[in-house]
Amino acid sequence: MPSSISPSDARKAEVGGTREGALPPGLRKTAADRPGQAQPVPTRDIPLRPWAEIGASVFLAVALLMTAWEWQARTRIGLRAGDIDDSPQAWAEQRRLADSAPVTIVGDSRILFDTDLDRFQAMTGIRPVQTAIVGTNARALLETYANDRKFHGLLIVGLADLSFFRPEGVGLGGSYLKGFSRSGKPSQLSGLWLDRWLQRHLAFMDGEYRLSRWILHADHGIRKGAYGPYDDVWKISEVFDHRQYFMWDRIETDAYLRDHARHAWNVFKGPPLPPFIARNVIARSAEAVRRIRVRGGDVIFIRPPSAPELRAIEDKRLPRAQGWDLLLAAARAKGIHADDLPQAQNLVVPEWSHLNHKCATVFTDAYVRRLVQLTGRLKLRADAPPPLSRADCVSPATPAAAKPA
Amino acid sequence: MIFNSLTFLVFFALVLALHNMPFSWHQKKINLMIASYLFYAAWNPPFVILLWVSTVVDWWAAQWMVRAKRERTRRMWMLTSVIVNLGMLGYFKYGGFLLDNFVTIAASLGIIYHPPGWDIVLPVGISFYTFATLSYTLDVYLRRSAPAGSFLNYALFVTFFPHLVAGPIMRPTELVPQFETPRRANANQIFFGLALLTLGLFQKVVLADGFLAPVVEAVYDAHGQVPGMLDSWVATLAFAGQIFCDFAGYSTSAIGVALCLGFAMPDNFRFPYGAIGFSDFWRRWHITLSSWLRDYLYIPLGGNRHGHARTYAALMGTMLLGGLWHGANWTFVVWGGLHGLYLSTERWLRARFKGSTPGRASLLGFALLTFFLVNITWVFFRARTFAGAGVVLTGMAGMAAKPDPLIAGGPMIIAIAIVSGIFGTHLAMRDTTLEAVIERTPSIALASIWTLLLFAVIIEQGQGSAFIYFAF
Repeated sequence: MPSSISPSDARKAEVGGTREGALPPGLRKTAADRPGQAQPVPTRDIPLRPWAEIGASVFLAVALLMTAWEWQARTRIGLRAGDIDDSPQAWAEQRRLADSAPVTIVGDSRILFDTDLDRFQAMTGIRPVQTAIVGTNARALLETYANDRKFHGLLIVGLADLSFFRPEGVGLGGSYLKGFSRSGKPSQLSGLWLDRWLQRHLAFMDGEYRLSRWILHADHGIRKGAYGPYDDVWKISEVFDHRQYFMWDRIETDAYLRDHARHAWNVFKGPPLPPFIARNVIARSAEAVRRIRVRGGDVIFIRPPSAPELRAIEDKRLPRAQGWDLLLAAARAKGIHADDLPQAQNLVVPEWSHLNHKCATVFTDAYVRRLVQLTGRLKLRADAPPPLSRADCVSPATPAAAKPA
Repeated sequence: MIFNSLTFLVFFALVLALHNMPFSWHQKKINLMIASYLFYAAWNPPFVILLWVSTVVDWWAAQWMVRAKRERTRRMWMLTSVIVNLGMLGYFKYGGFLLDNFVTIAASLGIIYHPPGWDIVLPVGISFYTFATLSYTLDVYLRRSAPAGSFLNYALFVTFFPHLVAGPIMRPTELVPQFETPRRANANQIFFGLALLTLGLFQKVVLADGFLAPVVEAVYDAHGQVPGMLDSWVATLAFAGQIFCDFAGYSTSAIGVALCLGFAMPDNFRFPYGAIGFSDFWRRWHITLSSWLRDYLYIPLGGNRHGHARTYAALMGTMLLGGLWHGANWTFVVWGGLHGLYLSTERWLRARFKGSTPGRASLLGFALLTFFLVNITWVFFRARTFAGAGVVLTGMAGMAAKPDPLIAGGPMIIAIAIVSGIFGTHLAMRDTTLEAVIERTPSIALASIWTLLLFAVIIEQGQGSAFIYFAF
């Protein structure tokens, strides 16, 4: 027992490495106690406890708790196994593919949610590489491709006006871009594979529902005036292979989560954008488009839909004529605006900013049919599926709260 | 790879299994060395070459030092080791910093110089293994220890993965003897090692990354705006908790991992926020670095044997360089300088009030004062620029005019609770050890606590973020 260990015994133990039983306080020395000398083998005392029994009971208890946690994640929260998180590594993986890909997508969350990659591939035979990033300025991403001498494909730039037309700042994708040149290291790749493998089997592994975020969801603005967890965007998407995002169906069925998501778009409110900002963004974008074309690439802009509630804010801050139209003219680029696609009118935008899963497929179908008319780089396959219409995603049973926009 | 990654869990399980197979001890050491190289190469394979250079140069420098008949030759081999090691550290870690300062000085003299960009990747852990290998040649040169008897043992000392990239900074005399005889952990050591690994991961993944880091970032990364007094203090206190949980978490994990393999590693933290005074603080915070600096810098600079002036100069010099060790930025130098100033002032006060014995209330007051002053230094450690540090210090002084609240209520309450818990625990445990407390704790309570910690680590999931000290 520790109390029976004399100081001399303890000193002997000090050079023995590990020892059973905790040393009395003050007897386990560190290098701080031995100035100017060779340091002996440190002592690691193992507290006298039935560690094997404790360890076995801990692993059993944790296994039970994990089973319960996984169950509540699936049944109460509505998470699903196979919904794999996005990450800078997953983005970097796609970004590396973009250099040799015929079609690549950049942009913010709208083009990310609103593009069905399977549908795109079924229609054209080409699967685009998805490199859009949530909360990120598409212009900044466009410029990275303009600076990439290896890129010479078709770049689809999806934009939400207020995200695209901002003076500076990349947004949430800043860390993705910053880390790209140092990505692809063995530990990063193995981490990505293991993480994906686990997420294919476990629903609870969702970054948006990890412990700290889950606890802080309870803060609904305790401290007035501070930007808090409630102001953040919570989980609104599910992510699948190749960074295929779709809206999480609980946003359509859960009023609380849907209202919260709408609340988060308060970030778009503000005064009209000063004209010089749009001019600056347009000039930089036009230059980026020019540089991509010089290398043999091309750029087409797409503006996915938003719900009338959000569209009113967007139009007030930057009318189409002062943003989108001027951008296409200055860049001499072709573009597809959701307003101009008859099949993309009145689709379901549950939280005002992104289409639901089914309507994302309809929107993709609509814009790809327009895309093949605008560029010779894509052709509609002879065996392409028949066109979709609004009726394919808006059913009479659509919940009132998720009514078409 | 980092301890809080899935890759490491798989790697560690394989290493542990391999280490417990019926191989010869020699084969097990080779296995450990290969595993350690894989551990390091997982970040950036080419940097393994740096490890080899450091290992080979120091091995031969020590061998030739012992064989040298003249003191001058011994000194030459010691200097060779120092120059090669510090040269690599200087090139990779301080090259850009030196160049920036050169350009600034040249500009102040009216010389405009535009050097090419210095985009050199810092090899992870270079500051740690450089100090570890330097201690080998320096100990041999100072005749504190004999060179290692086996190249394999020495090479394994350099690369042994639990301490390789973020310490504890081990001396060869602490680890090489452990490679001389077969080691295999028994069940108690393995399970206690796993408990320590869980505790370390809980500190890092749940406390540091999950709850404290966002609070710190809300203020320190809110560029331009002078924060209010409450926000500034909470963010700085949260950083005190974050840096402790991050780094002590790594050390605790490393100790646990080594223990599972049957090896003993030294304590690196001893409840540092319970320190009473700054010499006490540095006997408790990053012990293996502070003792390294003491043994190989402070004492050779004269220590306390050459009068007061020389002692104070040695103290300041050691702490300034210790600050620079943490990062190539003047803010780290100021951080070290402040600690040097605190230590010097404390030394002077101790001499001035020699013989006085403070009561319990006074000791508590000194502990609070120490914690308060340590927090002032953390501002320079966390802020990336002096302007940024100035903004936070202005806020801490309550000089912000109509500040907007930056930290939300929920995160603020949790951060205050965590930091109060850390401070209280350190005060309560300053005269004991974790092991002594555990030994007095009922098994059922231990099992419950361990279960909760492990469960919290798993459901927090972690984002695989690197430990702060990896950048040093």
